[in-house]
Amino acid sequence: MPEISGASRPAALRFALPCELNQVRQAAQTVHRFLMEQGCGEDILTACDLALVEACNNAIKYAPESARARSVGVEITCGAGQLEIRVTDHTLGFDWPERVELPAPESESGRGLFLIQSLMDSAQYLRGKGENILVLRKSRSSTGAKQESPPGAPMDNDRLITGLLDEVSSCYESLSAIFRYSTEQSKIKDLKKFARRLLTDLSAIVSAEWFVFRTVQNQTQIEVLAASESALDMGSIIYRGENSDSGFLEAEAAATRKTVLFDENRELAGADPLRLKPRSRGLVFPVFVGENFVGTLTLGKSAAPGGSTGRTFTASQTNVIATFAQFLAIQIVNARLQEELVANRIIARELEIAGSIQRSLLLKELPQLPGFELAALCRSAHQVGGDFYDILKPSEDTALLVIADVMGKGVLAAMFAAILRAVLRATPELNSQPAALLTRVNQLLFDELSGVDMFITAQLVFVDAKARKLVVGSAGHCPLLVADASGMKSLSPEGMPLGILPDTVFASETVELPVNCRVLLYTDGLTEAMDAAGERYGQDRLTDWFRKTQAQARPARDLQEELANKLAQFQLKTGLNDDQTFLIMTG
Amino acid sequence: MKQQSDGDTLRVSAIAELTAANANAFRDETRQAFGPEQRNIEVDLSQTMAVDSCGLGALVALHKTTAARGGVLRLLNPLPPVQQLLELTRMHRIFEVIKE
Repeated sequence: MPEISGASRPAALRFALPCELNQVRQAAQTVHRFLMEQGCGEDILTACDLALVEACNNAIKYAPESARARSVGVEITCGAGQLEIRVTDHTLGFDWPERVELPAPESESGRGLFLIQSLMDSAQYLRGKGENILVLRKSRSSTGAKQESPPGAPMDNDRLITGLLDEVSSCYESLSAIFRYSTEQSKIKDLKKFARRLLTDLSAIVSAEWFVFRTVQNQTQIEVLAASESALDMGSIIYRGENSDSGFLEAEAAATRKTVLFDENRELAGADPLRLKPRSRGLVFPVFVGENFVGTLTLGKSAAPGGSTGRTFTASQTNVIATFAQFLAIQIVNARLQEELVANRIIARELEIAGSIQRSLLLKELPQLPGFELAALCRSAHQVGGDFYDILKPSEDTALLVIADVMGKGVLAAMFAAILRAVLRATPELNSQPAALLTRVNQLLFDELSGVDMFITAQLVFVDAKARKLVVGSAGHCPLLVADASGMKSLSPEGMPLGILPDTVFASETVELPVNCRVLLYTDGLTEAMDAAGERYGQDRLTDWFRKTQAQARPARDLQEELANKLAQFQLKTGLNDDQTFLIMTG
Repeated sequence: MKQQSDGDTLRVSAIAELTAANANAFRDETRQAFGPEQRNIEVDLSQTMAVDSCGLGALVALHKTTAARGGVLRLLNPLPPVQQLLELTRMHRIFEVIKE
């Protein structure tokens, strides 16, 4: 039995119609009586009769065999100004045409939708999974509508039911819309277009007239991602910091992370973009994904003439807004993660290129020097660093040992390492004078290095095997360690890194190389090496080890292996966090 | 529903409704009663409380049946709601609508 309730106040009628065509007439009569009791005029009764019949006919005619046992839902809500008919069907649904046209006169079918559209003020067909709802609305204004109960009247059952119906149908609308969008989500190419479309639908569902969606940039600004009209697409708003646009509604919502409601009486700050929509009411809604603030969604509509009081959006509409906003925010966050992933891939590729440049700089075979032995190691953290070493042989009995660390990583660092190596090799006349060579190199590279805020630390050691002495020059590099039977020296001749000042003056030092001496050139990756406890390998550990190597004469290769093992052992649990390069000479 | 032959015209009356529930039966029964010598069909709608788009479809079908024989379909005295429906769907220009 149909339940009929409330004859004098906004009322609701709800019943289940068996899925049989011959039941439709009776249902139409029930609705007819109900609407008559609500005081609807003849015109409205006729229109609703016919529209309801057409809607029910379709719901029954197109029900698949499997749904025949399920009834068609009929709900009528009759308010003072408007009435609404909802028909819930279990058909496969169809796309409501954008324009419903009258078929040719000789056509025997196809007039149902046209009748519905013509008789009702609005018709919306909401498709869902397994069921669809046709929502028909008609204004009662032409027929001397009854007065609504005074504000503040206690909520009776009818209102409660109407409210619940509203709530359920709103949830249903947003859910079915989200189902639709979820299936599209994998093919979102243009986030702006997607946002615009989603928010246009949202506006229709919650009866908003315009919208602006802003997303966070740089933690201090919100920028328009999508707006219902281009005029609203106005630059960025600063919501945090000294120059913030305080007083702007959107800035307020972003700064306080709270929903800001506004109506036509709200005074807007001089440059608030929302001034473009005067006499509006609506809300600015802060959007989050988890704890992260993503942006603000503003929805508005014109204030009704005469300025009715009350809320612009009902609680259920606000829920729908929240659901959509949340969904959109997740899409945005996902899309950004995707972008980052691509950027990371590009960086990885760049490092790979830089790594191959760096490897190409290293000597395949170390040149040797009469009476001395050389060994070297260059281990790169990540794909690439700016470390490199080189050994030049200006003559049979001499060598220039080079070790350098280009600050920075990636292709640029590798390029500078390659340039430095080329410049050193192109200046053989200065190979025996490390300080003069560094001065020249600094002059040649200064503009390029300072242009990109990079610098290089380097150490050049000229070894004369016959005279058994070395000359060292340093550009802000780690000290040179020289050990012999008399003890160990740490040499740091003055000189700033290359690329800091155009006219740096470099000093040099000369030391004798007695028999059974050792020389160690290294980069700070050795002393900065860290263990699991966060302790550094440090200068002391290195010098201690180096001092002890004097105990017996050993080939350079042995020492190189021992130091490499010690370092590997030290950072067993932490791994390499910086390049480690060293060159050992014994003799 | 009553059917009555009057020369070259078949008269159908006492129709309570013309809707999805009975439109096809109405169409088929009327066609069966339409004698080979007849050309026109008159449908008395004075007692018809409800017509929907399916009912209209049946009337269009009968209109074609008569037109094939050079005759006409006449609708007699439709009630105001039915008249509105005919006008809304522009069918009043296709059928001959007679008010007595």
